Amino acid sequence: MNRVTKWSATCASAGIILVAWETLVRRFEVPEYLLPPPSAIWQKFWQTLSVQLEEIAFTAATTLTGLLAALVVGVLLALVVTYVEPLRSIVLPAFAAFNGIPKIAIAPLLVTWFGLGAEPKILLAFLLGLFPIFVNAATGLSEIEPDVIDLARLSGGTEFRIFRKVRLMNALPYIADAMKVAFPLALVGAIVGEFIGGNRGIGQLILSGQFNLDTPLVFACLVTITVFTSVGIGAVAVFERVFLGWRLSQRRR
Amino acid sequence: MTEAAVVSADAVGMRFGGQQAIDNLSFEVHDGEFVAIVGPSGCGKSTTLRIVSGLATATSGTVRAHGSEVMRPLQDAAMVFQAPVLLPWRRTVENILLTAEMRGEPAAAHRERAGKLARLAGLEGFERHYPHELSGGMQQRVSICRALLLDPSLLLMDEPFGALDVMTREKMGFELQRIWTATRNTVLFVTHSISEAILLSDRILVMSPRPGRIKTDIPVALERPRSVETLKDPRFGELAVTVREQIETT
Ligand SMILES: Nc1ncnc2c1ncn2[C@@H]1O[C@H](COP(=O)(O)OP(=O)(O)OP(=O)(O)O)[C@@H](O)[C@H]1O
Ligand SMILES: [Mg+2]
Repeated sequence: MNRVTKWSATCASAGIILVAWETLVRRFEVPEYLLPPPSAIWQKFWQTLSVQLEEIAFTAATTLTGLLAALVVGVLLALVVTYVEPLRSIVLPAFAAFNGIPKIAIAPLLVTWFGLGAEPKILLAFLLGLFPIFVNAATGLSEIEPDVIDLARLSGGTEFRIFRKVRLMNALPYIADAMKVAFPLALVGAIVGEFIGGNRGIGQLILSGQFNLDTPLVFACLVTITVFTSVGIGAVAVFERVFLGWRLSQRRR
Repeated sequence: MTEAAVVSADAVGMRFGGQQAIDNLSFEVHDGEFVAIVGPSGCGKSTTLRIVSGLATATSGTVRAHGSEVMRPLQDAAMVFQAPVLLPWRRTVENILLTAEMRGEPAAAHRERAGKLARLAGLEGFERHYPHELSGGMQQRVSICRALLLDPSLLLMDEPFGALDVMTREKMGFELQRIWTATRNTVLFVTHSISEAILLSDRILVMSPRPGRIKTDIPVALERPRSVETLKDPRFGELAVTVREQIETT
C-alpha cells in the first residue's frame, strides 16, 4: 500500500469514528459531563485556545527540561558503564533496583521535598525518561562486533576515534528509539506532577475541568496533549530522516 | 639472510586456561609473499593470526614483525575476517575509508585511492551503496578494499571467502589474485579449501591438530597468473594430494 492510500485510510477511519460518536451521543442524549460529542470538544478547544497554549507551554517546558536532563545523564551513565569496567557491576544492579520503584508513587514525596513549583515536575519527567535512555545508550555503545574494534585497532585507531566513529554512530539509532519512548514517559511524569500540586500546566487545566464538571474542557486538553506528543515524536522522526537515513532504507527492505 | 622477515614466529605457544591451543609454532613470511595456512578445525589458525597481528599475546615464544617484537596491535597491518563486518551507516567508499580515519588521517586524502580500489575490486557503480544494498560477495570485496587502503605491510586474512557459495568463492579467489598482483602486499591467508590455498599462495603451511604447530611447509611453484586452467595441471593435482595427506595424517 502506498503512502497516499495509507493516509486516506487513516483519515477515513478517524472520520467514521467521529461521525459515529457524534450521532450516538446525540441519539441517546448522553449528558455532556459524561461524554461530550466531538463538536462540543472542538468548540471548547477553540474557545480556550489561549489558555490551552499557555498551560501546555508550561508542561512542555518541564517535560523537555526533564527529558534533556535524562538524555545527558543517561548517556553519561551509559559511557561510564561502557568504559569503566569496575563501575558496571555497581551501576547496573542499582539501576535495576531503582527501576523497580514505581516512580509515580514517589511523586507526593517530591512535592514535599521540592514544593509546588516546576522542580518536582521536571524531576519526575527526568526520572521517567532516564531508564529507557540509559539502557538503550548503553546497549548501542557496547554492542559492537568485536571484529570491528579489532580492525580499528589494527589501523591505529585510538579509543577516542573508535568512540567517535564507531560506538557513538552505533548508539545513535538506539538513542533515537529511546527518545520515542522516553518522551511520552517524561510527559506522563510532568502531568502527574501537575496533578499532585501547583497551579500551572495542562494537568491543572484538566483537574479544573474535572472539578467544574466541564468534561469538554478535559477532552480539549487531551487534544492539545496529543498534538504536543505528535510534534515531539515527529521531531525525532525528522532527526532520523536527516541523520539516520541509512537505517530507514534498511528497514524498508 | 640479510633482510628481516615481515613476520617471524619463534616457538610460539598459547594456553587458554588449562588448554594448550598452540605449541612450539615457528614460521617466517617474507616481503611480498602470499602464504596460506591450512589445518584441521580448532588447530589454532585464527589464534595464530591474532598473535601475529598483536591483537592477542602469546603465552610463550616470540613474534617479530620487521625485526621488532610484537607487543601491541600492529599499526600497519590489516585484517579480513570471514564476515565482512562493514559499518551499516557508511556507504561503500566511506567503509573503505574507515582505515584512514582510524589512523587519524583526513579521509579526503585517500578518497581517490579508495575509488581506485573499489573499481579494481569490481565495485564500480556501487560506491554510494550501503552495505545492506550489496550482495555478500560484494560486501566482502569492500572489506578487502578497506584492508588494502593504506597499503598494509602485512595483510591477514582469516577464511575471507568462507561464508560464500562455491562459485562466488572461486571467482573471488581469482579476483583476489588479480588485486594482489597489482598491489603485492605480504599476505597470510587462512583457508579450509586446499584448492584455494594452491591457487593463491606461494607457500602453504600445514598445521597439526591441537595443539597446533607448523607440520609442513609446502612451496607452490605453479606460475602466475593462475586460472581455471591451472586446476587441470597435473602438478596441481599432485600438490592437492600432498596437502590433503599432510592434513589428514597426524
Ligand atoms: N578466547 C579463547 N578462549 C578460550 N579458548 C580459545 C579462545 N580462542 C580460541 N580458543 C581455543 O583455541 C583453539 C584454537 O582456536 P582457533 O579459533 O584458533 O582455531 P581455528 O584453527 O581458527 O579453527 P577453525 O578452523 O574452526 O576456525 C580452539 O580449541 C579454541 O577452543
Ligand atoms: Mg578460525
